[in-house]
Amino acid sequence: MKKINLLILVLFFPLFFSCSEDEWLKTEPLSFFTPEDVFVDEAGFESGLVVCRKEMNAENHGYFPNSNYIATEYAYTDLAVALRQSDFNKNTPSYSYRQTTLTLFLNGYGYIKNANTVISKIDDIEWDDKTIRNRILSEALWFRAYWYYRLVNAYGDIPWVGGLLTDVKLDYKSTTRWAILEQLQKDLEYAVEWLPDNAANTGDITKGAANHLLTKVYLAECDFDKAIEAATAAINGHPLMKARFGEDMTNNYHNLLWDLHRVNNKNISSNTETIYATVDRTDASPETWFNAVGTYSMRIYTPSYWKVQDSEGQRACNWSTPAGDTLGIGNGDIRPNYFANYELWNDETYTWETTPDMRRSDSNWIEMGKSISEIITDREGSPNNGEPLNKKYYGSLADTVDTWYSWPHYKTYVPTEHYRTPQGGQGDWYIFRSAGTYLLRAEAYFYKGQLAEAAADINKVRERSNAPLIDASDVTLDYIFDERARELYTESPRHSEMVRVSYILAKLGSDGYSLQNISESNWYYDRVIKYNSYYRDGYTFWGNTASLSPSNMLWPVPQSAITANTLGRINQNIGYEGSEYNEAPLETIPDPGYTN
Amino acid sequence: MKKKCITLIFGIQKIRELKILRKMKIVLFLIAVSVTQALAVDSYAQTTKLNLSVKNGKIVEILDEIENQSDFFFMYDATVINVDQKRSVNCENKTVTKILDDLFQNTGITYKIEDRLIALTSQGKKGTVTNFLQQQKNVSGKVTDSSGVPIPGVTVVIKGTTKGIITDSEGNYSLSGISSNATLLFSFVGMKTQEIRTNGESAINVKMEEENIGIEEVIAIGYGTMKKSDLTGSVQQVDAEKFKLQSTTQITEMLNGTIAGFNSNQGTSAQGGSSSMELRGPTSLTANTTPLVVVDGAIFTGSLRDVNPYDVKTIDILKDASSAAVYGAKAASGVIIITTKKGNTGGPIINVSTKVGVAESNNKRKGLGPDEYIQYRQDYLRQIHPELAYDYYSSPDNLNNFSLEEWRNLTASTLTDNKKEWLRRMGFFDIEVNNYLAGKTTDWYDEVFRKGLRQEYNTSISGGTDVVKYYWSLGHNNNKGIRLGDKYSSVHSRLNLDVKVTDWLNIGLNTQFSDENKSGVPASLNFYANSPYGQMFDEDGNLERLPHGHTDNPLLDYYRISDYDKGENLFADMHATIKFPLGIKFKTSFQPRYSNSKYYSYTTISKELGGIETSEQPIGSRNDSSVKNWMMDNILTWKKSIGIHNFDVTLLANYEKNQSWASYQSNQNFSPNQELSYHGLQYGDSPVVKDTDTKSSGNAYMGRVNYTLKDRYLVTASVRRDGFSAFGKNNKTAVFPAFALGWVVSEEDFFDISFLDRMKVRLSWGINGNRDIGIYSALATTGSDLWYNGSSTQVGVYSSSLLNDNLRWEKTAAYNVGFDLALLDNKIEFSADVYQMNTTDLLMSRSLPEVTGFESIMSNLGELRNRGLEINLNTVNINNQNFSWNTNLVFSFNRNKIISLFGDYSTYTLRGEECTSDVPDFTNGWFPGQSIDVVWDYNVCGIWQSDEAAEAAVYGLEPGDFKAEEVVKDGVYTDTDDKQFIGNTKPRYHLGLRNDFTFLKNFTASVFIRADLGHIKSYSAALNNGYESDDRCSRNKGPVPYWTSDKPNYEYARLNPTLSSFGGGLMIYKHCSFVRIQDFSLAYSLPSSLTQRLKAKNIQIYGSVRNLATFTDWPGWDPESGMTPMPRTYTFGLNFSIQ
Repeated sequence: MKKINLLILVLFFPLFFSCSEDEWLKTEPLSFFTPEDVFVDEAGFESGLVVCRKEMNAENHGYFPNSNYIATEYAYTDLAVALRQSDFNKNTPSYSYRQTTLTLFLNGYGYIKNANTVISKIDDIEWDDKTIRNRILSEALWFRAYWYYRLVNAYGDIPWVGGLLTDVKLDYKSTTRWAILEQLQKDLEYAVEWLPDNAANTGDITKGAANHLLTKVYLAECDFDKAIEAATAAINGHPLMKARFGEDMTNNYHNLLWDLHRVNNKNISSNTETIYATVDRTDASPETWFNAVGTYSMRIYTPSYWKVQDSEGQRACNWSTPAGDTLGIGNGDIRPNYFANYELWNDETYTWETTPDMRRSDSNWIEMGKSISEIITDREGSPNNGEPLNKKYYGSLADTVDTWYSWPHYKTYVPTEHYRTPQGGQGDWYIFRSAGTYLLRAEAYFYKGQLAEAAADINKVRERSNAPLIDASDVTLDYIFDERARELYTESPRHSEMVRVSYILAKLGSDGYSLQNISESNWYYDRVIKYNSYYRDGYTFWGNTASLSPSNMLWPVPQSAITANTLGRINQNIGYEGSEYNEAPLETIPDPGYTN
Repeated sequence: MKKKCITLIFGIQKIRELKILRKMKIVLFLIAVSVTQALAVDSYAQTTKLNLSVKNGKIVEILDEIENQSDFFFMYDATVINVDQKRSVNCENKTVTKILDDLFQNTGITYKIEDRLIALTSQGKKGTVTNFLQQQKNVSGKVTDSSGVPIPGVTVVIKGTTKGIITDSEGNYSLSGISSNATLLFSFVGMKTQEIRTNGESAINVKMEEENIGIEEVIAIGYGTMKKSDLTGSVQQVDAEKFKLQSTTQITEMLNGTIAGFNSNQGTSAQGGSSSMELRGPTSLTANTTPLVVVDGAIFTGSLRDVNPYDVKTIDILKDASSAAVYGAKAASGVIIITTKKGNTGGPIINVSTKVGVAESNNKRKGLGPDEYIQYRQDYLRQIHPELAYDYYSSPDNLNNFSLEEWRNLTASTLTDNKKEWLRRMGFFDIEVNNYLAGKTTDWYDEVFRKGLRQEYNTSISGGTDVVKYYWSLGHNNNKGIRLGDKYSSVHSRLNLDVKVTDWLNIGLNTQFSDENKSGVPASLNFYANSPYGQMFDEDGNLERLPHGHTDNPLLDYYRISDYDKGENLFADMHATIKFPLGIKFKTSFQPRYSNSKYYSYTTISKELGGIETSEQPIGSRNDSSVKNWMMDNILTWKKSIGIHNFDVTLLANYEKNQSWASYQSNQNFSPNQELSYHGLQYGDSPVVKDTDTKSSGNAYMGRVNYTLKDRYLVTASVRRDGFSAFGKNNKTAVFPAFALGWVVSEEDFFDISFLDRMKVRLSWGINGNRDIGIYSALATTGSDLWYNGSSTQVGVYSSSLLNDNLRWEKTAAYNVGFDLALLDNKIEFSADVYQMNTTDLLMSRSLPEVTGFESIMSNLGELRNRGLEINLNTVNINNQNFSWNTNLVFSFNRNKIISLFGDYSTYTLRGEECTSDVPDFTNGWFPGQSIDVVWDYNVCGIWQSDEAAEAAVYGLEPGDFKAEEVVKDGVYTDTDDKQFIGNTKPRYHLGLRNDFTFLKNFTASVFIRADLGHIKSYSAALNNGYESDDRCSRNKGPVPYWTSDKPNYEYARLNPTLSSFGGGLMIYKHCSFVRIQDFSLAYSLPSSLTQRLKAKNIQIYGSVRNLATFTDWPGWDPESGMTPMPRTYTFGLNFSIQ
């Protein structure tokens, strides 16, 4: 019986089981941090910046439509079309086939949120060393400014979100592009003050990067003197590369431009031209990659040459051959036009074939001639083995639009080490380099009428590539954008820059443009139609007829964002469904989200 | 119940047993019979002295008083003896004979005393006494249950008379004086009444069979049981016995269509089971709405797969709020209570069950065959290249307008072979050309599918003594799915023990163990993309990575991924029950659950297995996870009858803690070789480690009172307070009350309808919660991301969700009105329930505008309503000795409606109309005033035909594109203008019809027909587009029709149609109502003469078919599974038991 008594005692024990109920019901996270646990010291805030730095890879990495925004930028310019969506009418506020006209907006605000997390929390703790606080805040402000700059030049007036959301908010309103630019200017002026001259680690933001971005913002605001000042500061710290360097420097087949665009050369210390380049390394752990597929550059920008057939109707040079590993498995997503590949390189003295410009040299381009390509047939058993690919075996132009065009291999070639298909693997990519800063400064001089200074800046870039130099009288806005096309293809967000210029001319009232009717008449549209025959002629392929209107200068604001914002009105751009409900946008920034 | 009511008269030696039975107070024993033998005065009568003082009282009251003062016990035939006569008695210290002589003076009543028994007879009337005395023949025998265990207390009555007896503790009975052509009726609670003719036999042994339909059915109600007749809520019971002839890998397979209001879909893989479970209707928009599962009284948080269907005795489904409210915060979606088999005294009994089944897809959905494929490629290429001559893609053997020479001259090709030139134009790959010319084709359906095999073996042993009762089972499943690589096997074991330590202490253990193996990588269902001119292997026997030159091999992962996917689960309920005086009982139980699982995977990269060794990396990963949950219940119950009042009170204190640990590791690119597979991940060069641990805890206190007045007025009231760690710090606990009433109308005196056996009305109300929102939803969380900055790996942290300190429970308040009827000797039983459930404080992931950088925040907003009707009808259509036919019909429907969402009043456009009201959630497709599953999309009314080109062009469309109805006729398809509510994705009506037959004594058959009616399902294949639709020309497509100008149709679009004209996107929906003969079975039990010779108790062989036939318009694989193939299974089985 004693045993039983003991048993009862044990069984009843749970009845007296007690600890404070609050304690018992406490929520205990085990494998993740809450923000309260993270943003408590410099290391915590640094971890917030790490995310921002990594996300910059979205500009030039990955599949459509979730990233690789810069590729899409080229699809709707004077230089190229989107093979599968050349009809802009099909980029609606709620649907966009394989392109990023919606996702740049949707994801861009995600990147802004991550920068805002750091900005909003920066004064939640006491900083012993204010300079650390200011540097961290400055870098976060730079990332926020970068993405806002991209968004206002793709979508115009958009909502301003100045800090991390703390409660449900559904009454956002659009703010004018001008008010946002003004805030970006303030943010970047602060950042220039506190960012270091040299990055402590690759991928950190420096004073140079802030000055380059500030140059663009000043330009957009038509403050050309300040733009020149900021550009000069950026250029001074980042001389152009003029001698061969880095990996492959001893390979005599290649030249300086090849070296400049090797992914492994973009962030090395000997490359002084780099102001800011993203970092993504194939030899690091896959967990650190921006995504599994990498830059995708050998798929997006290059043609599907591997579909070209030999005289027996079989693929003459498959991507799975050794040559395919070098050339990639192109998909022709961004289809450049005749202007971009040929006319752009002709001048009074040279043609594209004879130009001394290294940017169009044979070693840097893969040439698809009128009927013959320099790619060699190598299918086992093919009667054409050893011969170049020949278009006559292949068929009509409709068949070849994605398979047959030349491309700047020196820019797109990225070894693909961890993927079955050679599509362009992980790699660093330029965001800003001083060649681009020169062209921005040239643009500022141009607006001020200082054409000699403008020509000098352009020539700095041309000289380095061994291109013939130009005179002040040659400088036009079109020429500057020709030069940007030659120098910055696959790098700079060309559509956004053209939008920036369109607003400048409209604000200045130049060439008959005005802000009032910018959706009906703008420089962007006029230049695209002038040079891009696909849009001009309404070329049809893959069931699409290339089409673009002046109002397509600004992209559609995603309907999902407008719809979810149930208590306020986010404006739609004119020309898209729903813009009739627009309300007057805010003209000031409600809250910058931080104090200096 | 008073002693005086009992007027059984029988052999003296049975008195003791009778007294025990009387204490059981079972109404069924009220049978009047006659005195069987003469009785003599005993000395007890002479030594016992009594004091009595009754003035003008009924004789019956006086007898009662005598019984109370003494051990005397009266027996009489109430039809003969008038005990309502009034008499007065006043005596002190008198013997019983003296008192009785006095009492019966001038009443015509005489008495006889035998020990403590006093039998009354009437002088004037003969009654049955005299008749009986004239009979001489004796019949005796033994009554046992189906497993041979003797049943004491069985009533044995001679049919047509009131004469009978009750079996003793050994199950024996003995009746004397029975005519040779008499029929004996054997009846017992919970058993089928049996009629047996004596035919002059003097020994008749009877085996009673269990009967589950009946008012005395015992129902599990949560923390206790209740007689079905006392229920106030809506609870339905399923007898697992009915499903023993079917292949059941999971318990839900028993419930679908059997329980009104229970909905789930059959699983299609080798694992069986269901894809979802839902009772009555969705009570939440986002939180889990799977019913709570309780096994033998303990809340079970594991997978239903862990419970072996073989071990299940009954399943009780608590559907209404008041029944489920005892589980409070977990019960908003209803409760499923599983009761497993227990051991009985006697035995041991060994049962063995074997099932072997063959499975195949019930729908052979093949891709395009060789000729169709060529036709399709021509159609597609002609469509996207209208600039080319029609004959450009025609076969040189079949030119329409061109001569062969003209056809050749369409290109500058130097190919000499015309066939090759044609195939070149069609974009055929090398492999395709070679196979075309060689006349070789591959049927990818046959490569992916096979005959599935299901094997199920179970055995159990059970028995017991007065002290220990045991049930132990062991089961094994080994299934091969109908798709190559799909397999599942498991081992289940259960041990139920009950030990009676002392009169007041019972301890017990219910424990189950399961071990399952889910390893295996099924072949891809995406085989449609492969050309019939492709091939599985190359000439060297290597797997073709791209079987026709484009698109992965559907068997690629089947061949190259090896995986190890196993888990073990242990669940135990250890309990002790202590009996205190006054009907108080205390039960304490501790219920730990341990679960371990391993999922290891390795992708081998080698040429033989379709790998590209130069660029692909082998990758291996290991997922190890374990769960440790425990729950502790302390339950105090008090059961007491006070006169006409019956009380049943339950008090509960509960604590729980749930913990899980998960570790993930992976690596790539192994050296020196891949031999070690996932056993040696350290040999790779890119290690990844991730850990995810969670912890949650809760508590609960509950009280419940069941009160019954006169067996006809029933009241249940309960209240439960729950706490759970997942909620915001301002709302950690919540209270859930419930109340219910029942009225057994047929028990009332005024109720007198002869054909109505029983009629009951039930009314209940209660509030339940849903806490299943994710353990950390209330917290602001961060995500992390690694990045390599060129010199070191950095950890990035970003804000991933918002804080919500106010996050609280979803509350569902529900009413239930129920009505039960039994008529024509219980041959027809009907019950109907109507309910309304209102869920408030809906846990919603509220969509935020993307500009916030967050997609959503968890909030308590909105209100949802479910209403429905459930009908259950059981009929015994025919019940003869040689043929019986029972039918069970189940019908239910549920209608839900979103009453409110976010409460944001604003102006928006819907169906072209300006509305100012609670704003819909367009992102999730939730509209106030509509049901959750409503489909808001364009009403596609056909395909633009060739002669409608101009009209189509208005919308930017072409002939062959979808034509949709426009609400606002402005020539633009705008979602807010033109999308309509075109149907619902959940079935509007559920029907289940089961017919059970027994015939030729030993045969049983059953047919179960199920129907889900009135719903539609998205069928994206009908869009005829695809992610890489422009690459279509180099792939096959599924068996979906398409439009061409030559072969137009009105339902399916052209290949690669324009969809961008439809603002907000377009989806095609198809009707998917179905009626299916879901189960058919036929069984034969060997006659007992044969089984006895085989020394077995029972042997049964049977065959059954699942998904025998399906009637539907759904164009996909199966209306229930949508776009996965549904197996049809033929099962053969054998059951036997020995003792």
